[in-house]
Amino acid sequence: MSQTDTLPPSGLKQLWLKWRFHLNILLILIPLGFMPKYFADASLFRGDSGLGANIVEGIQVGRWTLDLAELRDEAPRAEGPAGYFKAFNAACTSCDEGVKATYLRVGKPRSLRAAGTIFFGAPARMGTSLPIPPRTRPDADIWITIEGWDGKMYQAAVPLAKASPATAAWLEKQGGNK
Amino acid sequence: MARQSRKKSNSKLWFLVHSWLALPIWFFVLIVCFTGMLAVVSQEIVWLANADVRASKPDDDSQRLSYQQVLDAMHKAEPELAVRFFSQPDGSHFALQASVTRADGTNALLYVNPYTGAIQGQRPDFDFEAFTRALHGWWLVPFSNGYSWGWYLVSLLGLPMLASLVTGLVVYKKFWRGFFKPLRTGHGPRIFWGDVHRLAGVWSIWFIAVIAITGTWFLIQAILADNHVTISSEPIVPVIAREQVPRTADGGPAPRIDLDQAARIASQKIPGLDISFISLPATAYSHYSMGGRGWYPLMFQTAEVNPYTRNVDSQFLLGDRSALEFVTESMRPLHTGDFGGLAIKLIWFFFGLVLTLMVFSGLLIWTKRTTQATLAALKRGERPARKRATASPTTLEAQP
Repeated sequence: MSQTDTLPPSGLKQLWLKWRFHLNILLILIPLGFMPKYFADASLFRGDSGLGANIVEGIQVGRWTLDLAELRDEAPRAEGPAGYFKAFNAACTSCDEGVKATYLRVGKPRSLRAAGTIFFGAPARMGTSLPIPPRTRPDADIWITIEGWDGKMYQAAVPLAKASPATAAWLEKQGGNK
Repeated sequence: MARQSRKKSNSKLWFLVHSWLALPIWFFVLIVCFTGMLAVVSQEIVWLANADVRASKPDDDSQRLSYQQVLDAMHKAEPELAVRFFSQPDGSHFALQASVTRADGTNALLYVNPYTGAIQGQRPDFDFEAFTRALHGWWLVPFSNGYSWGWYLVSLLGLPMLASLVTGLVVYKKFWRGFFKPLRTGHGPRIFWGDVHRLAGVWSIWFIAVIAITGTWFLIQAILADNHVTISSEPIVPVIAREQVPRTADGGPAPRIDLDQAARIASQKIPGLDISFISLPATAYSHYSMGGRGWYPLMFQTAEVNPYTRNVDSQFLLGDRSALEFVTESMRPLHTGDFGGLAIKLIWFFFGLVLTLMVFSGLLIWTKRTTQATLAALKRGERPARKRATASPTTLEAQP
């Protein structure tokens, strides 16, 4: 045993000891580094950080007024074979009365049956996941459709570039590839 | 003689493999084991620390309220609340949990007394349960595109864990005799920690196997999901058809059945359905979704009740599962120990502690022994074969 102690430490061993130490530190740094993001996300989902990013306020749809925001200021996310999706939130406190459903769609819906994705949740904070076809024109509008309990349809449009600049920029890039 | 020495050098190799498995990431492994141990009892820790999550009876003969009664009581106290979801944690000592949206657009999880319907408090911004689980489960790395790479990082540990179990049993000669071996004190820390490591090891063979196999399943699950492979036979519930939502004469909202009616309809249709969670329709075209554990406590049964037609439009019961799903769906509860109340959780907690101690004692032994043994093994390789049989200054058997 004393022999091993007196041997001069090889370069490999030196390197190994150093590397081992750093690997442990590196692994511990990961959760520390992500901790602010973790708490920011928790706050985002609680709604404590507001409705989302790039809020478009006071959109008039029929007799209701609605705020629209993207959940995150970022390009659409790939969801496998289903394509690309973008999460939007909406708030419409006046929608408690008379509103059966609220929908979101890229481009103007021709009918209520093609009104787009439905918003889930309480009117004070509803969410939906909007499919974004990669061939969408960056200057497209997204349409909000409110279906009233009276059976009527109420609509308003917001430029996609305003509701989600990151999506418009991403579409610009997609168009360049095609 | 030759065979014996080959056998011996094989066991040396096994021993070295065993010794190096947790390293050089021992601290990572240690924290993962430690946070896993905490996560098992995180709900109980919160229960001890925060009186809001306790379900205290106002008096001895108080009865639990029904879901609709609780909802009514909550609306009476805070008319602006939109309740989305009720969930009763496993154990009647826990308060009912209600996910709500407030008029200001914030979401909250409220703790509600199941006997009075009183809102006792709200989940604090720092959610200990969620935090320990996120730290243990995916190392806090966010899920941005499929599974988080932190999930892969942690679940990958299932493989070296399985390998250390196997190699540990190989190098520990006659391990089945080790269950009642006393710990030797007074022979120095290396002998002591070696004894601790072996004793803890033989008693937790089953637990290490369970955790390693289920941990490896989490890895497989992520790989499957990220490659969009599904083995689930769970039906996809379509939204309620437009024609089933009645039109009203005055153009007001169509009347829906209430929570208790929905629960009753599901219970009548599905005998034995335990309803420990129920969600209110999230849109005008959504169902009441509810469910709970079946006779096999590791899996949940769910049902979707149409609030207009009163039909159970969809259900997913134990009998609907494939044999494969019985195995794969059992993996998560087997890992977390949350399928049999407090007793099982405490067993999982105890063995989680033992496992943490195994990593720690393994490290102590390693620092004292493996560095030397490895150097010796390297040195032997450079020496003539004649000397090899006698050259080892350190005992490489697992049993000192």
